[in-house]
Amino acid sequence: MSTERSLSKMRQHHDEGESLLEVIMTIVITGLTITALVSSLANTAAAGNAQRRSVSSDAVLRNFAEAVKDATSDCVAGATYTIDYQAPPTYTVTLQPSDQMCPAAAVAQLLLITASDAAGSRSEMQIKVRTP
Amino acid sequence: MTTRPRDVSDRDTGAALILAIGFVVMVGSIGAGMAALVTSSLNNRVTLEQVRNRQYSADGAITEAISIVRSEVGGALDSCTSAGGSAVDTMNHVATRVDWINACRTVVDASGNVVAQRNVIFSACEDTGSPCVAPNVIIRAQVNFQQAETGTVTKTFIQSWSVDR
Repeated sequence: MSTERSLSKMRQHHDEGESLLEVIMTIVITGLTITALVSSLANTAAAGNAQRRSVSSDAVLRNFAEAVKDATSDCVAGATYTIDYQAPPTYTVTLQPSDQMCPAAAVAQLLLITASDAAGSRSEMQIKVRTP
Repeated sequence: MTTRPRDVSDRDTGAALILAIGFVVMVGSIGAGMAALVTSSLNNRVTLEQVRNRQYSADGAITEAISIVRSEVGGALDSCTSAGGSAVDTMNHVATRVDWINACRTVVDASGNVVAQRNVIFSACEDTGSPCVAPNVIIRAQVNFQQAETGTVTKTFIQSWSVDR
């Protein structure tokens, strides 16, 4: 009888210690995991935002390129052409060379288009235009 | 001798730790899923940019080739002697080859004169050092070169322009 009681007492004592250790380990592991999760979420959000800006910038670039090609489709050599395109408010689009002059009839002109937004996302592309 | 019922605390031993490990695995899976999502998006973005560069390079290369052909086309109005050719042009870090063939034919105009209708078919593909083959063609276009009586090209007309890839 006394042996059984002492065994039970030992087991209780043993369980109490293990439970405390488990709780501490659990708190530490959970804390680290939540920190990693929050960090991961923040990174994903930042990457998604960068992705969205990049895609938007690409769309602006393509639209502007098509507007330039459209403007030069009825070019007369030596005359200037007008690009009918309004960039979205936060975007800036530049064209190099910027003189918007129709090239000579037998020459294709290389143009560099750059689109950038207020947050610093920047895309560039080359196109060629000619006088029909 | 009596049998002592098993203590409830014995069965619970280690449960919290198992739960924590399960939680770690779950969060790890979520993290891996998000990382895969971001990687996939970036890969898609790169692929789309490559396609864009390839298409605009092909467009520019054909534009350049039209200018080349424009200065080559000429001669008598009632003949179709202009030959085909090819050129390589690099834009947006993509080298594009353009092959063109003469699709010229003679027609009789309203006054009964035989005149040449100078059409040229251009095919653009990524430059591999060999002529463009149909499955690799990015843009195919047919252009008409309008000539004056002197043989000089006065204007070009895009008759067809198809982006295949």
